[in-house]
Amino acid sequence: MKIVIAGAGSVGRYMAEQLSSTGNQVTLIDSDASAVSRINVSGVTTAVGDACELDTLAKAGLAEADVVAAVTGDDEDNLVISLLAKQEFAVPRVVARVNNPNNEWMFNEMWGVDVSVSTPHLLTAMVEEAVSVGSLVRIMKFEHGKAQLAEVTLAAGSPAVNCRITDLGLPRETTIVAIMRDGHVVAPQADTPLHQGDEVVVLMTGDCEADVRRILIGASAS
Amino acid sequence: MSVFRRRKGETPVGEEISYPSIASLTPRAKTAVRGRVVRIVKQPAQGLPTLLVRIEDESGSATAVWSGRRSIGGLDLGRKVVIEGVPMASPTGLRFFNPAYTLLP
Repeated sequence: MKIVIAGAGSVGRYMAEQLSSTGNQVTLIDSDASAVSRINVSGVTTAVGDACELDTLAKAGLAEADVVAAVTGDDEDNLVISLLAKQEFAVPRVVARVNNPNNEWMFNEMWGVDVSVSTPHLLTAMVEEAVSVGSLVRIMKFEHGKAQLAEVTLAAGSPAVNCRITDLGLPRETTIVAIMRDGHVVAPQADTPLHQGDEVVVLMTGDCEADVRRILIGASAS
Repeated sequence: MSVFRRRKGETPVGEEISYPSIASLTPRAKTAVRGRVVRIVKQPAQGLPTLLVRIEDESGSATAVWSGRRSIGGLDLGRKVVIEGVPMASPTGLRFFNPAYTLLP
């Protein structure tokens, strides 16, 4: 795949190296020539210039890019790059980095963003996940919130403890995608029994969070 | 292509310029097409006002999408327009995202 990354900070350079090593054709853009030159992987094409300018983006080959990742440290720049990528080059997939969580509401289709990634939100989810038992932790959202991944650590009082997955009566829109038990990942089958302390990872589409709470956490959960 | 050299006040756009047919468009190639507005949908997408305008010529149809607005003055059903932008493939046919537009008499 042809991937263009705007922003050659530590995030952009790391992504370029990783994505290039997995066989993708990567182009890295930054206005700072020294930042771009710090990339020490052959195979990554570099472009020096302002990624908020059409000319720079055209030179970086956005017209053929499959994915554009706007990962500069500046939310305004990331939004402009996303909008230009979508509007002027019809890039199929635009991924943007949210630096300040207060700006996250803007990272949507109006600005050409298909997927936004907010490090502060991810960190919050991870911390919440680490400290909470018996509550539902939202880990990640896909497709602008139409689908989300959540995690529940089963407390002693959960109605799901000692139940088989098939007997839980989960709504159709819900899939248990993984169970973390004693440091192992258990691939869930219909007849897999759930135990107290299991970390259950659930993929939910649509509005079924209340059902999932009721089934995995119990009536006492708000 | 001559259509791209068009500037404000230059040769008026319209019948005398030939545009590619909608059916002949390739995704992701900047282009201009002429058609008639056959459908207008005001659709809030994730709480954002979004205007979807379907234009049609003899060969087929394409959709222009404008984010952040509910209507565009003069862009009414039956109106002839020139849409200029980069089309992208979508399940419902080609889509222009925030294209430039010219209303034709």
